[in-house]
Amino acid sequence: MDKIFLSFITFFNPVLEKAGVNTDQLHEILKIKLLMDDRRPNAVFAARRQTKTNGGNARSPWVISFFTVLMGVFIGLVLFLNKMAYLGQTLYFLIFMVLMALTLISDFTTVLIDVRDQFILLPRPVNDRTIAVSRILHISIYVLRLALLQGLAGMVFIGFLDGILAVPLFFVELLEATFISIFMVNIIYLLLMKSVSPQRFKDIISYFQIGFSILIFATYYLLPRLINISVLENISLLAHWWAYCLPPVWITALNELLMHPGRSGLITGILAVIGLTVPVLGLWFVAKVLAPGFNRRLAVIATSEGNSDSAVNIKKAGKFNIIGKISNIVAPDPVENAGFRITWKLAARTREFKLKVYPAFAYVPIYFLYFVLKGKGGNISDRFDELQNGHSYVFLIYLCTFILTSILMNISMSSKYKSSWIYYALPIEEPGKILSGMYKAIIVLYFLPYCAVISIIVVAFWGTEAINDVVLAFLVSVIYGMLMALFMVKGLPFSKPVIAKQGGGRIFMSLIILAFIGGIGFVHYFIMKWEMLIWILIIPFVLINWIMFHYYKKQTWDNIELSEV
Amino acid sequence: MQNLNTFCQYFFTLPSILIKIMSDTPIIQIRNLSKSYGAKLVLKHLTLDIYPGQVLGYIGPNGAGKSTTVKILTGLIPDFEGEVLVNGINMANDPQEIKKLIGYVPENAEIYDVLTPMEYLDFIGKLYGMDEASLHDRAKKLLVAFGLATNTDDRMDTFSKGMKQKVLLIAGIIHNPKIIVLDEPLSGLDANAVIMIKELIMRLSKEGKTIFYCSHMMDIVEKVADRILLINNGDIIADGTFESLKQNHSDTLERIFSKLTGRGDSATETDAIINAFD
Repeated sequence: MDKIFLSFITFFNPVLEKAGVNTDQLHEILKIKLLMDDRRPNAVFAARRQTKTNGGNARSPWVISFFTVLMGVFIGLVLFLNKMAYLGQTLYFLIFMVLMALTLISDFTTVLIDVRDQFILLPRPVNDRTIAVSRILHISIYVLRLALLQGLAGMVFIGFLDGILAVPLFFVELLEATFISIFMVNIIYLLLMKSVSPQRFKDIISYFQIGFSILIFATYYLLPRLINISVLENISLLAHWWAYCLPPVWITALNELLMHPGRSGLITGILAVIGLTVPVLGLWFVAKVLAPGFNRRLAVIATSEGNSDSAVNIKKAGKFNIIGKISNIVAPDPVENAGFRITWKLAARTREFKLKVYPAFAYVPIYFLYFVLKGKGGNISDRFDELQNGHSYVFLIYLCTFILTSILMNISMSSKYKSSWIYYALPIEEPGKILSGMYKAIIVLYFLPYCAVISIIVVAFWGTEAINDVVLAFLVSVIYGMLMALFMVKGLPFSKPVIAKQGGGRIFMSLIILAFIGGIGFVHYFIMKWEMLIWILIIPFVLINWIMFHYYKKQTWDNIELSEV
Repeated sequence: MQNLNTFCQYFFTLPSILIKIMSDTPIIQIRNLSKSYGAKLVLKHLTLDIYPGQVLGYIGPNGAGKSTTVKILTGLIPDFEGEVLVNGINMANDPQEIKKLIGYVPENAEIYDVLTPMEYLDFIGKLYGMDEASLHDRAKKLLVAFGLATNTDDRMDTFSKGMKQKVLLIAGIIHNPKIIVLDEPLSGLDANAVIMIKELIMRLSKEGKTIFYCSHMMDIVEKVADRILLINNGDIIADGTFESLKQNHSDTLERIFSKLTGRGDSATETDAIINAFD
């Protein structure tokens, strides 16, 4: 497939050369980048290493392709909203482009800002424009592959709806959508790179990624329940002035103009022309105007001088001191304190950890809303009344254990796990202390503040009689977390490679723990009408926590799986 | 050494008489070069002439501006003040032409390590516009000469640091450049490879190549370089042969270095370190 794309690009050679691109070099750069993509270990499915070069077809993602096509079917259903002009396709392309941009930013950022390019490409006689265009085309090929898979179902559906002639037209529209997505992502990148420091840039990108994964999750769970399709069906899109500014509308205009000439006029024609020219103009604009600065900023990322942000460090010192003092109180033992601090600092500064864990913070309320809205009938305000009279808040608090699980699953993993040689090189007699420091850090810095916020909301919504339940549920959750940590987290903080194989036994174990805690949660739910009993129960649970911490600390090296450093 | 000989034959390009004539005009001219990051001035009006065939040892403490100079010279940092002329070409006007003349071996061993050495060299060579047949031929011979014959088709993510460094060295000279910029080229190499590279540097300089050698390893700079340049806080504070520096300052390059960069009293530093345990 890559070869087809590469030879397709040669058609544009005259144009590219006029823009100042060296097409031979461009071809070589693209070839090598695509080859590297093929060999890039896939984050989702554990990497299968192939040592021989000729087996270039290391791309396993048949599964990924399948899911992409499936997703295409899912969003393709929107096309059937074709009673009103523009509506179905505009929605389709809107979702299509958001998904595209999302995949681009989350999956492709590391490839796009490959700092190695700085030392490998820049010392060679390759001009900025060639590098910039190669970058754009590289993304384009990657995205086109995705676009074709994702748009496959759409093409079939549109064939049924508008006749066979609409299919090639739809293909052109898919291309338009793809190029506009690339253009917009590029603009975001370039603007960010021009305005913020490289370090901040990477952070901002990761927050984008976190935001997007939350968005997808929320859309998937909540959108179908909040939107009534019959309301949507009769929207007349072009009655709103802002609709003319939406790129999906320009794209859709092409179909309207040629497939439904009866309901289109001059404006549709103009929009269709805009839709055709914007992608081309966009590419030109990025290559000519924005790209030269891109490499210069990259140079700053690569040079150590550009990265010294001493002012920031001074500012943050005060805040860190407070957490430092907390750590001294919570984990007084030096080894335990070290475990606490290393967990705190690495967790706060490791991008990949944040990417995996932070979305979980938003999943909890989304899940809760999902379950609340799941019931049949009644409008939304009725359901909220029902909610306030019930006791489902216990469920909300127990749901918070989800973030504990999420943190614990990721806390021992890091792509820079090799730095953990230090644990093995130092004379640490009781590694359990590091683990307990780690667990305390998780509880104090993540779980406790999170639960506090949830609890305040719960108490505000359901009244003060919820307090004892909140405290008890919190204690049970901490026990749950400790059981998980004890049986599931077999490594010291950030000491294991990310590609971890989960043994079947472990998954079984985690299910048992979950069932156990779920059982306690249900018992809690049934006895919660006796307020006094809950208050009394808090005492034994505090004791259990204390005892468990005591024994958790006693873990020896035998309990820890060593990873090869 | 057999390997080394076959390898060096590829660089017999300039007759030695020609070198003598060319020596009169500097191949690299740096005039009033300044560079600042924000308010911090990293290079202060650097002026420098380098002649063909010279092996220039470029030394200085961390943060002195060494790597900034190298990055400007290799075209990695395009915005700077002052003038850089390489072979009469102005860096500000035509950086691409200059890049064709320079081979650069970066310090931080950045490489696309999912590729094999052969794929990587093929890629780099083609960026220089080399013809495939001669490129592959040369790449193979160089890989053999560097002792990587059995690894030509293995992916580099399994390579040791020294092996990657060798590939980087080959990538730096594959297009037979006039100027070779080496930034800590010996890191990760074993003793035999170090001897080989040292000898190679001498041979290349005899062929008329200009070598710009950046390093912290004083003993090697001392032996390899025929002109030593010491930079501190963005200024050149010493410039001359090792012999001339010795006469004016001290007997080893290490001592000259520490004397000139203001660390002459290392005894007080070590005192402070020892006292810290009390």
